[in-house]
Amino acid sequence: MSLDVWSLIVLIFFPALVGILIGFVKNDDNAYRIALATTIALCVPAVALLANFDFSHGGMTQFEHSIPWVPGLGLEFSIGMDSVSLLLILLSVLLGPIVVLASKTAITKDRKMYYAWLTVLQGAMVGVFAAQDLLLFYICFEFTLLPMFILIRKYGSTNRIAASTKFFLYTFTGSMMTLAGLMYVVWFVAQDSQLGRWTLDIAALTHYAGNMTLTEQGWVLAAMLAGFAVKVPLFPVHTWLPLAHTEAPTAGSVILAGVLLKLGTYGFYRFAVPLAPEAFFEYAPLIAILAIIGIIYAGLICWVQDDIKKLVAYSSVSHLGFCILGLTALNVTGFSGSILYMLSHGFSTGGLFLMIGFMYERYHTRDMNTVGGLASKMPVWATFMVFFAMASVGLPGLNGFPSELLCLISAFQSDAAWNAAGEPGAWGASLGPWFAVFAGTGMVIAAMYLLYMVGKICFGAYKEPADYHPHDELPTDLNTREIITLTPLAIGCVLFGLQPTMLLDAISEPVNNTVRIVEQANGIDSQATLSSHYSTGGGLMSSDQVEQLDEISLRHAENPGTEAHVEDLAEIGDSMKSADQSDHDHGGDSHD
Amino acid sequence: MMTSSLINSFTSSIATLAPDAAGHAAHAEPGAIAAGPNWVLLIPFLPFAAFTLNALYAAFGVKSKLPAWTTVATLAGSFLATLAMFMNFDGTPYTVQAFEWFNLHYGDKSFVANFSFYIDTLTIYWMLFVTGLATLIALYASEYMSHDVGQGYNRFFAAFALFVVSMACLVMGDNLLMLYLGWEGVGLCSYLLIGYFYKKPSAVAAAKKAFIVNRIGDLGLALGVYLTFVHFGTVQYAELFSNETLQSYIAAASHGDFGSIPGEAQWIALLLMIGAFGKSAQFPLYVWLPDAMEGPTPVSALIHAATMVTAGIYLIARMYPVFIVSENALPIVAWIGTITAFLAATIGMAQFDIKRIMAYSTVSQLGYMFAGLGFLTPTGGAYHVLTHAFFKALLFLCCGAVMHGFAGQLDLRKLSGLWKVPGWRIVSIGMLIGCINLAGVPFTAGYFSKDTILAEAFVTPGYAFLGWVLLLTAGMTAYYTFRVFFRVFVGPVEYHPGDELHDHDHDHGHGEEHHHDAGQHGDHHANHFHPHAPGWAINTVLIILTGCSILATGLYFVGGDKDAHTKHYADTMVSESSASYHSHYGTHAFEYYEKDPEHYPEPGHGPRGSIDKALSMPITGGDPHKMMYYISGVIGFVGILLAALLHGPKGLGGLFLGARTNASECKMDAIAKRFGPIPRWAENKWYVDELYHAIFVKPLRIISHVFHWVDKLLVDGIVNVFGFLPRVFAWIIRPSQSGVLQGYAVSMAGGLAIILFVVLVIVARAGGAS
Repeated sequence: MSLDVWSLIVLIFFPALVGILIGFVKNDDNAYRIALATTIALCVPAVALLANFDFSHGGMTQFEHSIPWVPGLGLEFSIGMDSVSLLLILLSVLLGPIVVLASKTAITKDRKMYYAWLTVLQGAMVGVFAAQDLLLFYICFEFTLLPMFILIRKYGSTNRIAASTKFFLYTFTGSMMTLAGLMYVVWFVAQDSQLGRWTLDIAALTHYAGNMTLTEQGWVLAAMLAGFAVKVPLFPVHTWLPLAHTEAPTAGSVILAGVLLKLGTYGFYRFAVPLAPEAFFEYAPLIAILAIIGIIYAGLICWVQDDIKKLVAYSSVSHLGFCILGLTALNVTGFSGSILYMLSHGFSTGGLFLMIGFMYERYHTRDMNTVGGLASKMPVWATFMVFFAMASVGLPGLNGFPSELLCLISAFQSDAAWNAAGEPGAWGASLGPWFAVFAGTGMVIAAMYLLYMVGKICFGAYKEPADYHPHDELPTDLNTREIITLTPLAIGCVLFGLQPTMLLDAISEPVNNTVRIVEQANGIDSQATLSSHYSTGGGLMSSDQVEQLDEISLRHAENPGTEAHVEDLAEIGDSMKSADQSDHDHGGDSHD
Repeated sequence: MMTSSLINSFTSSIATLAPDAAGHAAHAEPGAIAAGPNWVLLIPFLPFAAFTLNALYAAFGVKSKLPAWTTVATLAGSFLATLAMFMNFDGTPYTVQAFEWFNLHYGDKSFVANFSFYIDTLTIYWMLFVTGLATLIALYASEYMSHDVGQGYNRFFAAFALFVVSMACLVMGDNLLMLYLGWEGVGLCSYLLIGYFYKKPSAVAAAKKAFIVNRIGDLGLALGVYLTFVHFGTVQYAELFSNETLQSYIAAASHGDFGSIPGEAQWIALLLMIGAFGKSAQFPLYVWLPDAMEGPTPVSALIHAATMVTAGIYLIARMYPVFIVSENALPIVAWIGTITAFLAATIGMAQFDIKRIMAYSTVSQLGYMFAGLGFLTPTGGAYHVLTHAFFKALLFLCCGAVMHGFAGQLDLRKLSGLWKVPGWRIVSIGMLIGCINLAGVPFTAGYFSKDTILAEAFVTPGYAFLGWVLLLTAGMTAYYTFRVFFRVFVGPVEYHPGDELHDHDHDHGHGEEHHHDAGQHGDHHANHFHPHAPGWAINTVLIILTGCSILATGLYFVGGDKDAHTKHYADTMVSESSASYHSHYGTHAFEYYEKDPEHYPEPGHGPRGSIDKALSMPITGGDPHKMMYYISGVIGFVGILLAALLHGPKGLGGLFLGARTNASECKMDAIAKRFGPIPRWAENKWYVDELYHAIFVKPLRIISHVFHWVDKLLVDGIVNVFGFLPRVFAWIIRPSQSGVLQGYAVSMAGGLAIILFVVLVIVARAGGAS
C-alpha cells in the first residue's frame, strides 16, 4: 500500500482510536488538547492527499485500495477518491480543528465525552466520502448519526431531547429506505445483469444499474430519495433540521451545516443520479419544484424568526434548495454549481453558526428581541457577522455567488428552447426559465431575512438580557482564539468567491463523466442536443447547420422516437445500452 | 440600400470594439481584443489598497485623520491614472486582465468571465468623473466626518474606498459578471454607508430598504446576464458585440422587423432594464433613494447622486446593442423615465427637508437620463449624467455644509438668509451655481444636456407627448430648486439649529466649543447657537466643484469629431463605444437629413415608425434641437419666477418679488391651502411607501407567518404522528416498559428496510414485467 492509501486510512480510523483514548483521559483539559492536536495533525495527511492527487485525471478513482472480506457475497472494504470526494474530505478535515477550538469555553460539563465523540465523527465523515463500496459507505453514513445524536442530546440546549430524538429517528428511518433501494440495486446487479455475482463496488453497480427498467429505476430512486432528501433536507421532509440545528451545540451545528447535510446531496450526486439515470431524468422537474418550494418557503419562514439560530437553520433549507436545483438540471453547469455549493455553503453558514455560538456564550439567549445592537459593544464580532451574512446572501466576490450563479444558469440551460447556444453538456432535464426565475426570488428573500437578522442583532440600540452579566473568561468582544477560529472560514469565503475556477477545473472530469452517464442513459447525444435546439429554438441557422439538421431529421425518420419524449428516449437509451453490452460481450436480456 | 448602410454604420462602430470582426462576419475568436498596459490596473487597485489600509487602521484603532489622507491620496492617484488612460487612448478598445475568475468548460464551449477590464471611450468617460468626484468628496469628508475621528472614521473611509473599487469593477469590467460584481459591491457599500449611524433605527431601516429594493432589481439583472450567456454563449462584451447572431438581430431590428428576433433575446433587455431601474431609482423601485439620505452627506453626494445611481444608465448604454433588438425595452425605458421624472418632481415640490428635495430631484433627473436612452439618444443620457454629477454633487455638498454647520438642520422653514451670514458666502455661491444648472438656466451645462434629451423626444417618432411632460417637469424642477435657494440663502437672516446639538454631546465636540466664543456671529439665534462655518477642506472642494460646474458648459463646445459626426466631448465619447447609435432614425436623424437630403431617401422607416413629422416640432414648428433652446429656457425662467414670487423675500430693487419676512412663512402657504389636501399628499410622497407596505410587505409577512405555523403544525405534525406510531405499537404490546421506546423505534425502522426491500422487489419487478 502506498503512503497515500495509508494517509487515507489514518484519516478514517485514527480519529476513532483517538476518540477511544480520550475516553480514558482523566483531565478534561487534556481531552480538549488531545482533540485539538489530533484534528490539527489530521490536516497533514489530508494535505498530502491533496498534493499527491492527480487533478488532470480528477474523474479517476485514485488512492484506491480494497481488502476483500467475504468475497462470495462481494463484501469488501474498499476506499479511494475522485476529486469531488477529495474536496469534501478536505472540507471535513478542515472543519475539525475549527469546531474543537470553538468549543473550548462553550462546553463545560463532561467535556471528555464531548471531545471523544467529536473526534470520532471526523473519521466517520471522511469514511463516507472515501468509500468505494456500499458497505463502507453505508456503515459510515449511518455511523455519523450516532456521534451527532449524542452531541445534541447531551450538550444541546433546552429542547435537546426532543431534537435529538427527532433527528435520529427521522434520518434513520429515511436511510433505512435508502438502504432498501441500494439493496435492490445490488440484488438486481447480482441477479439480472451480466456480472453474475454479488458486488458492492460502487463503480460496478453504477455501470450495471442503468439496465434497470424505468419502473424499477423509479422505485429505486424513490427509496434512495427517501433517505437522501431527509438528509439534505428537501421540502417537505426538512422539519428535523431547524430543531436539531437550533438545539445542537455550536460545533454540532457547524458540522451539521458544513458536512452532514452534504451527505444528502453527495448521495444524490453519487448514487441517485448514476444508479437511476432515466428515472432521475424523468422526475428531475418534480424534484426541482420541491427544491424551489424549499427555497421560497424556508426563506420566508426565516424572515419571521425571533430565534437567530433557527433563522440560520431554516436558511440552510433554503440554500440547499439551490444545490438540489443544480443537480436536477443534469448538465455540466448544474453539477458543477451544485458541488461548488456543497463545498462553499459550509463556510458561510458554518461561520454564521460560530458567530451565533460566540454571542450565545456571552448573552445566553438566541432571542433577537432580547439581545441586539451588538455593533457598539462587539465591533469585531459585528464585522464578521456582516461578512458572513453577505457571503450567505450571495454577494459576488464571496463564496455563495459562483455556486448560486451556476445553479441558476443550469436551470435556464436545461430548457432546449431557450438555450440558443445549446452545446453538448449544456442540455439536461427539462427545467427552463421559470425554474430559474422562481429559484432566483431566493436571492431577494435571502437578502430580506439576512439583513433583517443583521439589522436586529448588529445594529440599532444596544439591548442585553435582564440577567446579563459579563462572562467569567471571555472578553466583551471576540478573543484571539475565536478570531483564529473564524479566519480560515473567512479566507475560504473570499478564496471560493474569487477563484472558483480552481475548484471548477478540479471537478470538471467527474462532472463530465456523470453528465455522460445521464446523456447516454437517456439517449441524448450531442446530435440530439443540436436537433432539439434547432427544431425548437427558432434561432438563425447557417446553411451548414441546415444541412446538419436535414441529416439529423433523416436519421430521425429512420429511427422514430428521437422526439423529446422521455419514454421514447429511454428506449433509445436502452438500445444504446444493449449495443454497449454486446461490446462487453454480454447478452441482451437485461430487461423485459 | 438603406439596410446595408445601416448595417455598415453599425458594424463600423462594432469594428472598433472587436477589430477582427469588422466587415466579414466570421467567427470571432475569443480574446481577440488587444491587451492593454497593466498600469491600468492601478485604477481599481489603488482604492483597494486604501480599503485594506483603512480596514487595518480600524483593526488597530487608529485615532487620527490618517484614513482620510490615505483615501484622498490613493483616489487622487486613481484619478491621475484614469487621466493618463484617457490621454493615451488611441481609439482602439483593449482589455487588461487581473486574474482568471470564472472558466467552466463543457463540451467544446466554456463559460468565461475573468477579472479583467475593458477600456473604451464609454469606460473612460465614466471613470473620469467617478474617480475625480470621489477624490474631491473624500477630501470634503475628511472635514465633514471629523467628529467621528477614532470612532467610525476608519470604517467610513474603508467603505468609501471599497465603493470606488466596486464602481471601477462595474464600469471597467470586461464582462457582465464583473459588472454584476461591481453592481452588488456598490450596493453593499451603499448599505454600509447609509447605515453608518447604525444606532439610529431610521438609518438601519433605510439601509435595509435600499439593499432589498436593489436586490429586486439585481434579480432582474442577474437573470438577464444568465440569459445573455444562455442565448449568446458569452458574457464578455467584446465577444458579445461581435456575435453574429446579435448582428443579425440588429439588422432585423433596423427594419422594425422584431418578429424575426426570438422572444428570449428580447427578454434579455427587459430583464437588464429591471436591474437598471433598481440601481438608478426609477419607478416603481425608486423608493429607497430618498430614504438613503440617512447616510452622511458626502455619501449622498457621491453614491446617491453622482456615481452609483448612474450605473443603470451605464448598463443600458453599454448594452445598447442588446436593447435595440428588443421591441419593447427602449419604449418602456422612455416611459418609465418620464413617469419617474414627473412623479419625483411633484414630490420634490412639496418637501421641506432640503436634502430630501435634492434626493427627489436626483430621482427626477435620473428619469430624464432614462428618457434620453429611451429616445434613442444614449449621448443625451450620458451627457446629462456628467453635468448632473457635477452640479448635483455640488448641491449636496452645499446642503451638507449647511447641515454640518447648523447642527443637522435641514428644514427650509427654519433657515433663511445664509448669504449674509459670515463664512457662508462660498456655500451660497456654490448653491446658486448648482441651482441654475439644475433649473436649466440658459448657457449652463445642465441646460445644454437637458435640451439634448428634450429635443430628442420630438425627433424620435412617437414620443412628443413624453417631451411635453418632460418640459413641464423642467419648469417644476426650476421651481423647487429655486424654492430652496430663495428660502434658505436669501431674505432675512434667521436660523434655528437642528437637534444634533443636544444628543451628540461627545460626538460633536465643536458644538460645545462654540458656546464659549459667542459674540461675532450676530444675534439671530435662540439659545446661544452659533453656526459652524465650513473649514478649508469643505470650502476648497466647493470652490473646485463650483468651477467644474461652470466649466462643464464648455464641454458642449469642445471635443467634437467632424469625421464621426459628433458634436462635442460627450457625444464623441459615447458614439465611439458600444452605446453608439448612428443611424437614420437615431441621434443625428435631423442633421443628416438637413445636410444631405439626397442620401436620405427613406426618412420614413425606422423601428419606431415614421420620422417625417418629427423633423419639425409640434405646435411651434421648426427644428426641435433649435426650438428647444428657446422653449426650455423660457420654461426654466417661469419656474424660477414662480419660486421668487412665492418664496422669495422683498427687496434688492424689486429683483425679489416675494414678501417673505421670516424663515417659516411665505406666500406659498396661502396658495397651498387652496389645493386642499394635495400638497400634504405630495409631501407624504403620494403614500407610495404606505401602499407598498400594504400590498407587498404586509401580505408577505402574513404569508411568512402562515408558512411558519404550517411548518410547525402541519408539516412537522404529520411527522410527529408517524413518530408516535412506534410508541402506540409498544404500548399495545408491552405497556409497562416505556423506557425502551426508542429501541422499538429503531428496530421498527430497521425492519422497515427489509420490508421495503421486499416491497420494492415485488412492486418494481411487477412493473418492470408489464
